Amino acid sequence: MPQVLVPTVCPYCAAGCGFFIAVEKERALGIEYMPEHPASEGSLCSKGNAALEILYHPDRLRTPLKRHGDGWARITWEEALDLTARGLGGPLKKYGPNSIGFFASSKCTNEENYLIEKLARVLGSKNVDGCARLCHAPSVVGLNRTLGAAGMTNPIKDLANSKCIFVIGSNLAENHPILSRWIHRAKDSGAVVIVADPRMTHTAWMADVFLQLKPGTDVALLNGLIHVIIKEGLIDREYVAKWTRGYEELAESVRDYTPEKVAEITGILAGDIVRAARSYAISPASVILYSMGITQHTTGTDNVQAIANLALICGHLGREGTGVMPLRGQNNVQGACDMGALADFYPGYRKADDPETIEYFRAAWGVDSVPLGRGLTATEMIDKAGTGEIKAIYIVGEDPANSDPCSQNVRAALDNLEFLVVQDIFMTATAQLADVVLPAAAWAEKEGTYTSTERRVQWSAKAIEPPGSARCDLDIICEIAKRLGAQFNYPDAASVLAEINRVVPQYGGITRPRLDDFGLIWPCPNLNHPGTPILHTQGFKFSEGRATIVPVSYKPAAEDSSWDYPFILTTGRVAVHHNAGSMTRRSPSLLEREPNLFVEINPFDALRLKVADGDEVTVTTPRGETVAYARITERLKKGVAFMPFHFPGTNILTSEVRDPEAMIPEFKVSACKITRRD
Amino acid sequence: MPVYVDISRCIGCRSCEVACKRVHGGSGHVNVHFAGDNASVPVFCHHCEEASCTMACFTQALHKVGERTAFDVEKCTGCGLCRLACPFGVVWTDKIAHKCDLCEGRETPACVLTCPANALSLDFELASRRARARAALVAAHGGRR
Ligand code: SF4
Ligand code: SF4
Repeated sequence: MPQVLVPTVCPYCAAGCGFFIAVEKERALGIEYMPEHPASEGSLCSKGNAALEILYHPDRLRTPLKRHGDGWARITWEEALDLTARGLGGPLKKYGPNSIGFFASSKCTNEENYLIEKLARVLGSKNVDGCARLCHAPSVVGLNRTLGAAGMTNPIKDLANSKCIFVIGSNLAENHPILSRWIHRAKDSGAVVIVADPRMTHTAWMADVFLQLKPGTDVALLNGLIHVIIKEGLIDREYVAKWTRGYEELAESVRDYTPEKVAEITGILAGDIVRAARSYAISPASVILYSMGITQHTTGTDNVQAIANLALICGHLGREGTGVMPLRGQNNVQGACDMGALADFYPGYRKADDPETIEYFRAAWGVDSVPLGRGLTATEMIDKAGTGEIKAIYIVGEDPANSDPCSQNVRAALDNLEFLVVQDIFMTATAQLADVVLPAAAWAEKEGTYTSTERRVQWSAKAIEPPGSARCDLDIICEIAKRLGAQFNYPDAASVLAEINRVVPQYGGITRPRLDDFGLIWPCPNLNHPGTPILHTQGFKFSEGRATIVPVSYKPAAEDSSWDYPFILTTGRVAVHHNAGSMTRRSPSLLEREPNLFVEINPFDALRLKVADGDEVTVTTPRGETVAYARITERLKKGVAFMPFHFPGTNILTSEVRDPEAMIPEFKVSACKITRRD
Repeated sequence: MPVYVDISRCIGCRSCEVACKRVHGGSGHVNVHFAGDNASVPVFCHHCEEASCTMACFTQALHKVGERTAFDVEKCTGCGLCRLACPFGVVWTDKIAHKCDLCEGRETPACVLTCPANALSLDFELASRRARARAALVAAHGGRR
């Protein structure tokens, strides 16, 4: 049998790189690059190159399982689906629809997320959310409020047209490596690169100006930049007058953020703040890239709003080379949000507390009622599972027991449920707690669309069959839905996409036949629409087309170092791992490059702690302790420690305190203590 | 026609390592080295014009084919002399010798295609052309902004 090349989209980060899977005799044998791809030009990072390794991993779940004493019993699909329907349907009848919760998956396709959202809603439950809560919930709140849309404003390759690239709270060189090719291209044509991060990351290697701020002081820095820009008269007056409201209040609110004061709060030199502010404001086209370093804070929403303010007063929006770019983490976190996998939205970002939304979806779905009002977020559902208000949860492709902060509490909470069903490709820490485990297909074993961080909706084809009796998520969701009495007759992903085209206006013209050449960028309202790579070219979707400037003031992080916990622990990623690591830690060529949990500390601190490079240390926070290998590095300033969150140990330590609006936990700042083990 | 590295672009993502290993059935020929916390560079065969490994190899398993330093598995005795001879330490032996073969059979080596940062290329002049272009721009602007 000859080899066929099946086009697919990388299952790891949201850059959305495409590649071909070489398939022979129904086995995925290798990867071929795709040089025509608009975002990656054929390149792949280490994770992309290792993507096939998980497909044939011996740990793949092959049959449905049910809890049996302390172990697991293999069961048939019939039994598993019936058990699931009973497990969810029981509490539904007994305690009402809001006693059950749904976790959608940022790893699954748009079609699957849409169906989970629809299933929850038609059953009457408001509680459907996803891991976007743990990454870009503040972007959704903050950017919707200021700019009226939460996605990346410009496409990835447009970075090459920028003259000043400001990266804050993102280590894109390791986490979205393909972006660096566009940044280097911009540098070749004279762009200035500014990087703000508490850690001198690989991204900082690209910087002309590096601002090493204290974790959690982003608002102070951003307000400081705005202060300098206003004081030196560098704002874009025309733009501010025509397209914004609220400038006067902003100018008033940043009056006190002098470079000297900001230097004191952030630990950055005042001169560097002025330099960065001038570079950003003066350049003809500047862009801001940000990520988890901005959002995972108690002030996450404020951070995002401060970023929008900075872009607005300089008029760096709506043109080539400009923009505000929240870099999404997972391959389909953008799509999952678009499909309504957020407690506060229905598909297409229709507000859940708006009666019009309810009318619209009642009609669109042909059902008697769908629930009005915001439901519980992913983090809240877990809290309520702990207190017993939530009785049953259906988790698709997520691992909150590893990825949520203070993970030991999460485990206890999930254990408290009457019924937990987990659908995944591996036996994750969360699946270990389930009553029923459903084996799902990995990305290459099913078809559907994924929306990358640049809002590009791409079709990923099915290359091989799932292992054992594992089934694709779409089928499983439909089967469960039918057993719960919902009319879900979707033979394949294309039929769901057709419904999405009707129901979600932004996806109106993104039909299956139009997706063959690297997809389309939403909003794309109709069949003749070419897609919208650059947002806000003609103002914003508020009255008079004006964006809202929302002044914010600096509030310190919830935790600070103290006598007992003298270090500030911040978390992040490394190039060869992804998220909670359930895939990358099972990928030999990635794991061998970073096999162990480590903690980075400054040489000065190491000396004081009498710790040498490679020593085992215990890291302790008020929530728990973890063992890690010390890595001594000048990347960090004194008093700051860093750990990657790809290993289960890290989130035992992290803080549970949340942003009051977006409900995102403050992963990035926890006070900790480090001691040598022996 | 070896692969050239633009060190100023390398972001230490190790993609070239993983890709090389993938296309060579599990034994890779690229190693990314980190210079402290400040830079990284992939190290692999330079395909030297006067290649000491070929001079050391008495069976001519290692030999020059045009610009390439080629390797013939059939002839290799696994003696390890090439490893001693290579001044860059990019040949090693484990039963037989291993080194970059510029992805024989592929149009472009996997590392060049996969490098997310565009740090690798087959064009000897590319890195210096880029540097000159950057310098010219700076001069035209009257210095760094
Ligand atoms: S950059 Fe992201 S999408 Fe591209 S190969 Fe790496 S993980 Fe996959
Ligand atoms: S793939 Fe490119 S950027 Fe990554 S380590 Fe190799 S040379 Fe450096």
